[in-house]
Amino acid sequence: MNRRIRQLGIGMLVLYVLLFGQLNRVQFVKAQELREDPLNVRPLLREFGRARGQILSADGVLLAHSVATTPDSDIDFVRQYPTAERFAHIVGFQSFNQGAFGLERSFNDELAGERFEQQFQSPADLFRDRDSTGTLVLTLRDDVQQAAAAALGTRRGSVVALKPSTGEIVAMWTYPSFDPNQLSGLNGTLVNDAYEALRNDPDEPLLAKSFREVFFPGSTFKLVTAAAGVQSGLVSPSTPVFTESEEYHPLPSGTPIKNFADSTCGGDLREVLRVSCNTAFAEMGAEWIGPEIMVTTAENFGFNDELPFDVPGAVPSRFPTDYGEFLADVQYYRVTAPARARGSTNDTSESDGGVAANLPTLPNGATPIHESSAILAQTAIGQNDVAATPLQMAMIAAAIDNEGVLMAPHVVAEIRAADGTAYSTVQPDVWRLATSPGVAEILREAMVNVATSGTARNMAVPGLVVGGKTGTAQLGTDPPNSHAWIVGFAGLPNNPPELAIAVIVEAQPGADEQTGGRVAAPIAKAVIEAAFRVESETQLE
Amino acid sequence: MTAAEQSTTPPAVTNLRPRRVELGLVVMVSMVVVFAYGLASLGRNAELPADIRPFLVGTLGLFFFIHFAVRRLAFAADPVLVPTALLLNGIGYVMIARLGSDVDGGGDLAGLQSLWTGVGVMAFVITLVIVPKARALAGYRYLLGLAGIVLLALPLVPGIGVDIRGARIWVSIGPVNFQPGEFAKIALAIFFAGYLVESRDLIRNRIELRDLAPIGIAWVASVGIMVFERDLGSSLLFFALFVVLMWVATERSSFLALGLFLFGGGAIVAWRLFDHVQARIDGWLDPFADFSGDGYQIAQASFSLAEGGLTGTGLGRGDPDRVPIAESDFIFAAIGEEMGLAGSTAILMAFLLIVGSGLRIAIRATRPFEKLLTVGLTTLIGLQAFIIIGGVIRLVPLTGITLPFVSYGGSALVTNYIVLALLIRLSHEQRAAEPEVVQ
Repeated sequence: MNRRIRQLGIGMLVLYVLLFGQLNRVQFVKAQELREDPLNVRPLLREFGRARGQILSADGVLLAHSVATTPDSDIDFVRQYPTAERFAHIVGFQSFNQGAFGLERSFNDELAGERFEQQFQSPADLFRDRDSTGTLVLTLRDDVQQAAAAALGTRRGSVVALKPSTGEIVAMWTYPSFDPNQLSGLNGTLVNDAYEALRNDPDEPLLAKSFREVFFPGSTFKLVTAAAGVQSGLVSPSTPVFTESEEYHPLPSGTPIKNFADSTCGGDLREVLRVSCNTAFAEMGAEWIGPEIMVTTAENFGFNDELPFDVPGAVPSRFPTDYGEFLADVQYYRVTAPARARGSTNDTSESDGGVAANLPTLPNGATPIHESSAILAQTAIGQNDVAATPLQMAMIAAAIDNEGVLMAPHVVAEIRAADGTAYSTVQPDVWRLATSPGVAEILREAMVNVATSGTARNMAVPGLVVGGKTGTAQLGTDPPNSHAWIVGFAGLPNNPPELAIAVIVEAQPGADEQTGGRVAAPIAKAVIEAAFRVESETQLE
Repeated sequence: MTAAEQSTTPPAVTNLRPRRVELGLVVMVSMVVVFAYGLASLGRNAELPADIRPFLVGTLGLFFFIHFAVRRLAFAADPVLVPTALLLNGIGYVMIARLGSDVDGGGDLAGLQSLWTGVGVMAFVITLVIVPKARALAGYRYLLGLAGIVLLALPLVPGIGVDIRGARIWVSIGPVNFQPGEFAKIALAIFFAGYLVESRDLIRNRIELRDLAPIGIAWVASVGIMVFERDLGSSLLFFALFVVLMWVATERSSFLALGLFLFGGGAIVAWRLFDHVQARIDGWLDPFADFSGDGYQIAQASFSLAEGGLTGTGLGRGDPDRVPIAESDFIFAAIGEEMGLAGSTAILMAFLLIVGSGLRIAIRATRPFEKLLTVGLTTLIGLQAFIIIGGVIRLVPLTGITLPFVSYGGSALVTNYIVLALLIRLSHEQRAAEPEVVQ
């Protein structure tokens, strides 16, 4: 029997080695995966077991705080949001049942005090139990946010206002929004029902459309086309003077581009921008600037790139980059910006990337245009496949107002320790150089002209220097409806830039060029007034 | 009386060496347990438990009592078995007290468990007293076999049998609730050993159809437990115990193969026919598929173990009561969470020590009945621990059963102490018979 008993011992040993192996799998190899499993509520319980820091607006209004629950509850603290839907898209929420969104998610570690520099500010922290949670102070002002929400009312749309010199977001509002208190409550069933209802709402109240949805920018995009033209050196405030016309016929063929209400327009840069002349900008983009400079300029303004933004989920804006091959037919040759650059340096070598080396350059420097030139004519006026977030459009105005320098947008100004001292202050950060200062100044002056005597007159505020550009992006003709846009800036005379703004009111009835000026401009004006009201008061003190 | 003739070294003195080793181990174990008890309370509410002094006195008293009982009643016995069992019992108690403090009115669990521990130790001593010779048990084999069957069937008797958590393994008579199946284990282990010693030569030499009858009866009985009492763990344990003993007794591997075949067949049929078996298999394969239903407990156990990682959250600092029935079947997950892989591996090692010591006693035993009985009792503890730990950590499908010495439960604890007493008795007899080995 002893042989069998020894075999039994070996068998038992094998069984226990298997146990040990599986234990290692569960407790070591796959432990991290299991800890992060979405079904695992333990990390959540840990999170909800203690209060986290507050979130405050720039003007000191409480936006989010932790509130102790009743003692017999499964979780000890819940988040509450005194301003309800007003900051929901930025602050987000922290929900036991639905996870965390917005700043509550992206700044989770700072709010919970889990960063190393929060926990160990001095060696003494090793020996004491100090409240390490962080308070977020935002760049947004509640008074301006209120003004934006009130001005937009119950029309679907977004308002974005930011400081051009720093990239600090001052207001960022999208209607419809949602009440985050519904999602952070203790009753799991109510929370889940509320979340489902919000998710199934066709108006998508959960979606922060100001930076998470793209729209046709329409005529507001002409600012980028103008910047491309001036930057390339082919367009200046005085030349060329675009021929008065009703229609632009793209090369070599394509749907003619008309002006709004079949009007006739033309003239120099200031004039075509003032009246938002489609034919002139289509021609400028397709025949004077060319795709290379158009794409480069759009990308310098931030298109086709991930936006560096501290609220999660920002989507990139789009500008089409493919305009096809070169056309060999000499009758379509044009002196575009790259052609002139090549002609001036007398450099006809093939080193210049995309230009067809096997196609001749004419003595006057003209080179072939692209086969999809008709598309370029459309994208130059913000149609076709151009799509931008309201934040992106506000940033275009901000760059023009800030000598061409595009600052990285952000909503968090500083993180304070529990004792009120700032332990981390966000420094302004240059994202990219959109244009040269000279080009920016020309466009800035042209935009002021638009707000003084052009389509953006409704935006003007007495006592302030205001510049703007309207847009009406047609969505359909039956019935006619379109997105009403305005982008612009405002500042005290002879002062550094103060505020850039973009407003979109979605799917408004009507399709004429006045729509943006009529619908969106008054909203921008109300926000500008709110933003400068307090600033001027503080200056008086 | 050769010992009296070699009078230069009195055998009693020499033979007390294992007891001195045991005393040292018992002192160490009691320190570990008392420190763990204090830590669990410190981890929870940053203060020492109010009853740390009574606990210290009670633990030391109980531990020394059991040690001196062994010294008096089975002085030559293996020195590792008792301390190992006490360690398991102590760690289990600390976890139960710690878990109970999270549950409303759960403080009672710890109180009851300490009561059951006392009863278990008394049962241990009484067993040592009333079984001075293990051999004598063989004479009661048929009586015990019958008692085992009756005990197993008792929960099925209308009026006294009670359904708890889907299994009908409880008996309730007046104020007393107990699981007769636990005590049936000992009775059947003795019966199997006695019966197989008697008939193994017959079975070994020529296999006729009727020789297969016993294994067939065991199989039918196991299936019966599974079907009527829905107690998969006990069903598996009894059948495995019988097959192992048959295999060891007859030395015929064909019985092992036949046993595995019958087990496989029974398992497949059960899986096809019974929802509760199917639920266990599904919960084992993918507990996350039916997270809010059948898979919940296993999934929570996995989360609990993962939370512990290598070194654990620290006693009292984890959240092990997320796992339903953490104090009983799933206590291993609680240990893994708060003491980490280090702690859970220590528990595995403790059971391996018991298995190793038990099988060593079996190998050295000279008479077949003692050999088989030791193998049976050792297999009971070793396999039962494997079945429940494997279920909790998802190595095998979960079959609800207690972790010997560790889980909350009176019947199980008393049974385990009786098994321990029998192993001590068997070890003492074997070592006392070979004094040279002891020296």
